[in-house]
Amino acid sequence: MKRTVDVSIPVGPVHPCWKEPARVKCETRGELVLSAEVELGYMKKGIERIMRGRPWQEVMFLAERVCGICSVIHNMVFIEALEHISGIEVPERAALLRVIVNELDRMQSHILANFSYCYTIEHETLGMYLLDTREKVMDELERITGARVTCAYIVPGGVRFDLRSEDALHLRASLDALEQNITRYIGMFEHGPLIALRSRGIGILTRDAAREACAVGPTARASGLAETDRRLMHPTYQKLRFTPVSREEGDNFARIMVRFQEVLQSIALIRTCLDTLPEGPIRGGGIPGAGEIAYSGEAPRGELSYFIKTDAAGRVLEISIQTPSIMNIEACCHYMLKGVASLADVPSTFVSSDPCIACTER
Amino acid sequence: MTLLQSLKNLVRSKSIHVAYVDVGSCNGCDIEVLACLAPRYDIEQYGIYVHNNPREADVLLVIGAYTPGWEGKLEGLWEKIPDPKVAIAIGNCPISGCLFARPHTLVDPPVSKHIPIAAQVPGCPPRPTEILSAILAVAPTVFEDYEVRKR
Amino acid sequence: MKEPLYEKDLISMKYAILESRRHDRMVREIAADLGVPQLRMRRYLMDRFDMLLLENLPARYEQGKMMRQDAPEPERQLGAHLYTHAVPLIGEERMAQILTGVKEMVRGGTSMGQAVLSGKDRIRKEIIT
Repeated sequence: MKRTVDVSIPVGPVHPCWKEPARVKCETRGELVLSAEVELGYMKKGIERIMRGRPWQEVMFLAERVCGICSVIHNMVFIEALEHISGIEVPERAALLRVIVNELDRMQSHILANFSYCYTIEHETLGMYLLDTREKVMDELERITGARVTCAYIVPGGVRFDLRSEDALHLRASLDALEQNITRYIGMFEHGPLIALRSRGIGILTRDAAREACAVGPTARASGLAETDRRLMHPTYQKLRFTPVSREEGDNFARIMVRFQEVLQSIALIRTCLDTLPEGPIRGGGIPGAGEIAYSGEAPRGELSYFIKTDAAGRVLEISIQTPSIMNIEACCHYMLKGVASLADVPSTFVSSDPCIACTER
Repeated sequence: MTLLQSLKNLVRSKSIHVAYVDVGSCNGCDIEVLACLAPRYDIEQYGIYVHNNPREADVLLVIGAYTPGWEGKLEGLWEKIPDPKVAIAIGNCPISGCLFARPHTLVDPPVSKHIPIAAQVPGCPPRPTEILSAILAVAPTVFEDYEVRKR
Repeated sequence: MKEPLYEKDLISMKYAILESRRHDRMVREIAADLGVPQLRMRRYLMDRFDMLLLENLPARYEQGKMMRQDAPEPERQLGAHLYTHAVPLIGEERMAQILTGVKEMVRGGTSMGQAVLSGKDRIRKEIIT
C-alpha cells in the first residue's frame, strides 16, 4: 500500500534483537507509534508448493522444517492428520510418549521465547539463566528422540523409539530440577522492579482485539481467551485432565507469565504421563490412504492447522498450513503496536508475541 | 613481520565479532546459533561476541537458502561489513538448499553464488559445538597477517 | 525524490502469498460474493494490504463468516462486519453510508433482495474504481 506518512521508521530486517528477518515500518509522531506495517518475504521458501504431489514420507520431513523451533508439533499434527484420514490407531503408550515429547518441545520453545524477551529488555542475567535451563530440556529431548532439533520422532501409527527406563528416571530427576529453577525465575521476573517498568501495561491487546485478529496461543491466553487452547480437544490431553492457563491483563508481562506458567504445567503433564505410562507396543502400524481433512493441534505459539488432501498411495495432493505466528504477529503489529508510547518498546512488544517468521511465511 | 602486525594478530584472534543473518531457513539453525550463547557452550569465553550488527562484525554467519526477498540485500549487507571479514555458511541450506531445493521452490541456493563463503558447516541443523569450532578454526586463519597479505 | 529509497516492489511476493490454496479459495469466494473479477480482486488486495494481513486473511475471513451468520438482516447479506473488520476491503464510514442507503431503500418500499443488490453494487464500484 503506498501512502504518504510523516515519519516512517523501519525496524529490521537485520536487527540485534530479532532472531529472524522481518521489517516493521512504524509510522510515528514523536516517540508515539501510530501504526505499523510489516513487510515480509525474507523467508518465503514456498514449502507448500514443494509439498504438493509428493509422497507422505517426504512431506513428513518437509512439514518438520516449516519451523525449526516447534518442529515436534508440526510433525505431530501432520502425522495425526494422516492417521485421521486413514483410520490408523495409535497404541496407548505411543500416544503418551507423543505428549511427553510435545510438552518437552513446548517447554524449550517457551523458555527460548522468554529468553528473547529478557534479552530484548536487556535483562541478560535472567536471559542466560533461561538459556542454560533450555539446554537441560534439549538434553532430555535428545535422550528420548536422538536429535536436538527436527527429530522426526512421530511416525504414522506410533513413535520411532521407546522410552527406556533409565531415560524415564533421568527425565524425572531433571524435571524436579527444572521445576525448582523455573519457579525461582518466575519469582525474579514477577518481582523485578525494572522488568515491571518495561513490561507492565505495555503493548496491551484487549480481548476484543485478540478475537478480531484471531490471536491464538499464549498471546490470546494472556488476553483472557483460555478456550483457544486446542489441547482441550485432543483425546490424549483430555484423558490427562488438562486445563489451560490464562491471564486477564493482555500486556507484555502477562504474555511472558503465561509462558512461564505453561512450562510448569508442561512439567506436571509429563509427570502424569510418566506415572500412567502403560507397558506395550509403541507402533501400531497402518498405511496412509486417500482422504481430505482439516486438522489442528496446539503448537507452543498457538493453534496450528493443516488442510490436507491425499490420494490412495498416500501422496499429498493439496496442502495448506496455517501457522499460529501468522495470527499472533498480525495481532501484535496491527493492534499491540498501535499507541505504544515509545519506539524502544517496539522490539520488546514484537518479541513478546513470540514471532516466528519462518512459520509465518513457510 | 612488524611488531604492529603481530599485535594486530594477537588482538584479532581474541576478539571476534559475529553477526548472523537468516536468508530463508527453517529457524532450526538460528536457535542452534543462539544456543552457542548459552552458559554451557559459552561462546564469549573464546572472545567471540555475538553482536548481530553487520557494521561492526568480523564474521557473518549465513543461515538459509537465499529467498527472493534477499536479492540485492545480502550483497549490500556483505559490503557493509568492514574488512577483514569472513562469511561462514551454517547448515545444509546455504550449501545445497537442503530439502528446499526441489521443483517449484522459491529459493535460489547456494549462497556462495551471491557472496564469498569461506567455510561451510553442514548439518540439519549442526550442533552448537560444530558452529563454535568452525568460527574458531576459520576466523584466525583468515585474519592473520591480513595487512601483509593485502599488500 | 519520487521513488522511495530502499523499498522493493513487493507485488510478486504478495502474489506468492495469495497463491496458496486457502487464499485462492477465499479470494474466489469474495469475488463471487461481490461480483468482482478475480484478477481485480487480487490486485485490490495486493495494493491495499500489507503482507502480514494478506497471510492472515483466510483465518480472519473464516472468523468473519461465522460472525456474519449472527448479524441482523441487511448487514448479514451485505457482510457489513466481514468487509470492514475481518477483511477490511472498504472503510467503516463508507460501509455505514452504504448500509443507511440500503436501509432507506427498504423503508421506501424496495424489496430486501433488491436493496442488498444495489448495496453490493456500491461496494463493487468502490473496489473497481
